[in-house]
Amino acid sequence: MDLGASTALCFTRIGGTPPSLVSFLDPAALLDRRLLLFTGKGGVGKSTVVAALALEAARRGRRPLIVELGHRHTMKSIFGVGELGYEPSPVGRGVHAMQLEFDGALTDYMNEHVKVPRLARRVLANQALRRFFEAAPAVGEIATLNKLSALERERRGGAPRWDLIFVDLDATGHALMLLNLAKVMDGLVGDGPLRRLLDGFSVLLNDPRKTMLSLVTLPRDLPAQETVELYTTLCSDHRIARGALFINQIPSLHIDDEALTFLDPLQDRAEALDDHELSRDVEITRRMLMVRARAQGQVSRLEGAIEMPVVKLEQQVSSHLSLDDVAAIGEVAVAQLEAHRD
Amino acid sequence: MIDQVGTLRNLLADKDLLVAVGPGGVGKTTISAAMGLEAARRGRTVLVLTIDPAKRLAQALGLTGLDDQVQEVSTEELAVGGVDVPGKLYAAMLDTGRSFDALMARVAPNAQARERILNNRVYRAMAGTLARSHAYIAMERLYEAMDDPRFDLVIHDTPPTRNAIEILDAPGTLMAFLEDNVVKWFVRRPASGLRAKLWATGSAAVTRLLGLLAGQEFLDEIVAFFESFYELREGFRERAERARAYLRHPRSSFVVVSSADPSNLEDALALADGIRSRGVMIEAAVFNRAYEPLGEDPLEVVTSVDRVDAATRIERVWEDASSASVVRRLMVGVERVVAEAAAANARAVETTTKFNLSERTERVFVARLEDDIRDLEGLHRLSPWLCREG
Repeated sequence: MDLGASTALCFTRIGGTPPSLVSFLDPAALLDRRLLLFTGKGGVGKSTVVAALALEAARRGRRPLIVELGHRHTMKSIFGVGELGYEPSPVGRGVHAMQLEFDGALTDYMNEHVKVPRLARRVLANQALRRFFEAAPAVGEIATLNKLSALERERRGGAPRWDLIFVDLDATGHALMLLNLAKVMDGLVGDGPLRRLLDGFSVLLNDPRKTMLSLVTLPRDLPAQETVELYTTLCSDHRIARGALFINQIPSLHIDDEALTFLDPLQDRAEALDDHELSRDVEITRRMLMVRARAQGQVSRLEGAIEMPVVKLEQQVSSHLSLDDVAAIGEVAVAQLEAHRD
Repeated sequence: MIDQVGTLRNLLADKDLLVAVGPGGVGKTTISAAMGLEAARRGRTVLVLTIDPAKRLAQALGLTGLDDQVQEVSTEELAVGGVDVPGKLYAAMLDTGRSFDALMARVAPNAQARERILNNRVYRAMAGTLARSHAYIAMERLYEAMDDPRFDLVIHDTPPTRNAIEILDAPGTLMAFLEDNVVKWFVRRPASGLRAKLWATGSAAVTRLLGLLAGQEFLDEIVAFFESFYELREGFRERAERARAYLRHPRSSFVVVSSADPSNLEDALALADGIRSRGVMIEAAVFNRAYEPLGEDPLEVVTSVDRVDAATRIERVWEDASSASVVRRLMVGVERVVAEAAAANARAVETTTKFNLSERTERVFVARLEDDIRDLEGLHRLSPWLCREG
């Protein structure tokens, strides 16, 4: 695949962006957007990346909001707070977070679009109709996008209430579902509020000045494969602006190359001296070297296949990250983005 | 450490149905396939139903086509390596779009009803594109597999987290949906008193409202969809009831698959709670890639290692003074690597103790293997962890 050409094509398709805007639209300037969507396979550390960037945005004086979708409850443990609600609440260090639940989003949607409050209440109170909304596909997606665009528009004291809205999408499938919504509903929905709403979502999602989709992945075969596939789909089928690619948990080994040249002689000595413990330790180090080399291979593969600014994050030694650790990741990540910009 | 050694082995030997649930990205499909192979190795005829296997694993299972047909997995490659598989292993992939069509075709009372539903635009938009339909399809495939006399064990790999609960709820949701007359609401026929009654009870306002929100065209198509759907209700009801019974049968069990990573564990725990609150037992939890094998016995989870001071060690080991300082750096690094690995193992053990489901639940720790698993031999390598001798 000729990546250069396809990227150029993607860029043109974004809508004839004048060259002067190109630097402004630089994905490296991620924190200058309004709506930042993050996706990636489960378990790749998406929530950590989102929390880290939000912390860094807040440290730089912005007002970030983290939106967690549906059933995921990762932010409360990262920030060490209680259960998050549908209303944004402060979670510390200038960051707000909320849980976007289906029920709340549906209620908002109804209240907004059914001008007669009594009727809206009646629809919501109707068990059968509720079941219908739960079972019918796309309703959840519509309600979710409706809430996200409301958050984007929300103003306080003449300024947007949130400078930046981080959305932690739970899986690649979920992201594509939101992006596909307009297409799926195309030809189904005639003129009316729903049509206008869907058009509004498309405008917001496809406005590169406002919205960007970033990818989070791991330097392992399967997640990397999935990420490359997702990237290809995004390029060919979607107009959403692509943000950065975050490669998380890159293993590091704090032994310098010169020292490593003595690994073989050291093992020979350990064997000659019958030092089992040392032999074992050298063996483990070799395994870790292999793990690292393999991860580096995946990083190169991702960099080769994906034309997006890459942020490389080292594997953290501690399994439970403190808020300071997370904030430090944010600082490193944004510094790397800025380096791409220069 | 491992509380109920051998539970998973017994499940593989005795159960008719194992449902693997867990967060995404933890290797659920791999573990499902490895469990299938293990049961086949113990003489059973197994079907592994997967959702979306990674390409290489799909190839290993012979699932190269895009269809959702059941394929027999050739175990010849294992036989060559001296591993005997007396049972049989089958695999099938769940292709939502096609499966949904097949499901509709099966429950449709006649060809006309089938064409109507398959050509409906609301239906077309639904099938395959949107995640929720996975739950219904998974339910349907389950029903089909359980009724197939060829298999004596079905291992059902589910989509990540939330959807796994939806699979449990899908039969119920569907039945409630049919019984609650929601469908009838949207059905223009029968022209008898029913619709008139509904209009009279005020649903007219709601229907009008939907028309207003979505446009008349959309509403018409929804109505047509529900009308077609209404015709299928008997077929659906029967299947839903049987699927529900299978999921809750004493010869069925759920296996949670997770990593030892705290965020995955949190998701897995929430999922396990949801499943248990629906009255379904979870008898085994598999923690995949949970630890680094550090001991002589790769099955042992070593959580601390004796540290020999690098300085003392180098005195003993290294004679060449000119390179001593570089080698000392190396030794310090090596010690750090091993100590960090042991500490990570200790944390894995500690975080997974939260996963205390019941006394009968076995917690299975699977080591981090060097390679991603991409063939049957790779799956077979997991055998010692999955089936520990009690």
